[in-house]
Amino acid sequence: MSISEKSSAPGVKTNVSTRNGMIRPGSFRVIAGPCTVESYEQFAASAKAVKQAGYEYVRGGAFKPRTSPYSFQGLGEEGLKIMSEVSGELGIKGVTEVMDASEIELVMEHAQVIQIGARNMANFSLLKRIGAAIAGTDHGVILKRGFSATVEEWLLAAEYITKEGSENVVLCERGIRTFETATRFTLDLSAVIVAKRLTDLPVIVDPSHAAGRRDLVIPLSKASVAAEADGLIVESHHDPQEALCDAEQALPVEALLGLREALQPFASAMGREVL
Amino acid sequence: MQNRIEDLRSRVDEVDRELIRILNERARIVQEIVTIKAEAGKPLFDPRREEEILQKVAQENEGPIYNTSMREIFELILHRIRDLEVQREEFR
Repeated sequence: MSISEKSSAPGVKTNVSTRNGMIRPGSFRVIAGPCTVESYEQFAASAKAVKQAGYEYVRGGAFKPRTSPYSFQGLGEEGLKIMSEVSGELGIKGVTEVMDASEIELVMEHAQVIQIGARNMANFSLLKRIGAAIAGTDHGVILKRGFSATVEEWLLAAEYITKEGSENVVLCERGIRTFETATRFTLDLSAVIVAKRLTDLPVIVDPSHAAGRRDLVIPLSKASVAAEADGLIVESHHDPQEALCDAEQALPVEALLGLREALQPFASAMGREVL
Repeated sequence: MQNRIEDLRSRVDEVDRELIRILNERARIVQEIVTIKAEAGKPLFDPRREEEILQKVAQENEGPIYNTSMREIFELILHRIRDLEVQREEFR
């Protein structure tokens, strides 16, 4: 089913959903976890905190699109195995990035949700391959907005996936490049609202990558609820000091545990429950 | 020469007035479609239909404006009229 064939209801769209239950009507989905799967111990400790905070989806990268080829590139297949083992033990679902079509099958074996990163948003052959691979399955896709993509380009990229038949596609705003240097990117919350007015796809927000600093993550998360987003994907780490990547934006355990309480008043005002 | 230019400019003004009238007529027709779509629960974003329109535009175009330029002009018309619709009550 293409985006244009899905149904919508008038008003603020709190009623959007994915067929696999990742996004449910009247709810606000929180996905949390470390930037990268670094080791069994690290991922298990971080994932346990996610579960303890009451969330059902844990993120973690195995294939990492790093700016420098000399930065840590992720554990690859070993990282995926750690993710599926830990998430299986905890009874939660794994979210991880696919960078190349050759990784799709392997990732689907170990994780329930495939993330397509901002750098790959316009990789149309990858989008088509992922769309075809997940069609008719319960696997979901989170499509991040390219940091120089317009809303129109982002929605057309999503159409590449949905036209293959998937009903589990979620858009993710993660900040765009502007002249501002106080934050890593500029979180474009107006894009969330515009995308939701044009389509029936759920839209979530990644405040961690947008801000690049943890002190902004909770305020931007609250703003995302108010801006009609359907959920969040945030970075959290059991020991940010020791994190191998994006340490400065990861929420420590106490902050992650407090997130739900911080969000619920805003979610209630929007007629949503934090999941 | 000055008289000739003034004459041509007044014809351009006349064409512009006509364009404005026709563009608003197009917007009103789209509003009717959107009202029906809103009642049926269909979203505004419809890239398939948009491409259909843009291909027709290129087919109908006899120049001297290039097909690619005409497509750009129409993309702007389509999107600006759609923006008008996004702001309507039914989609809030």
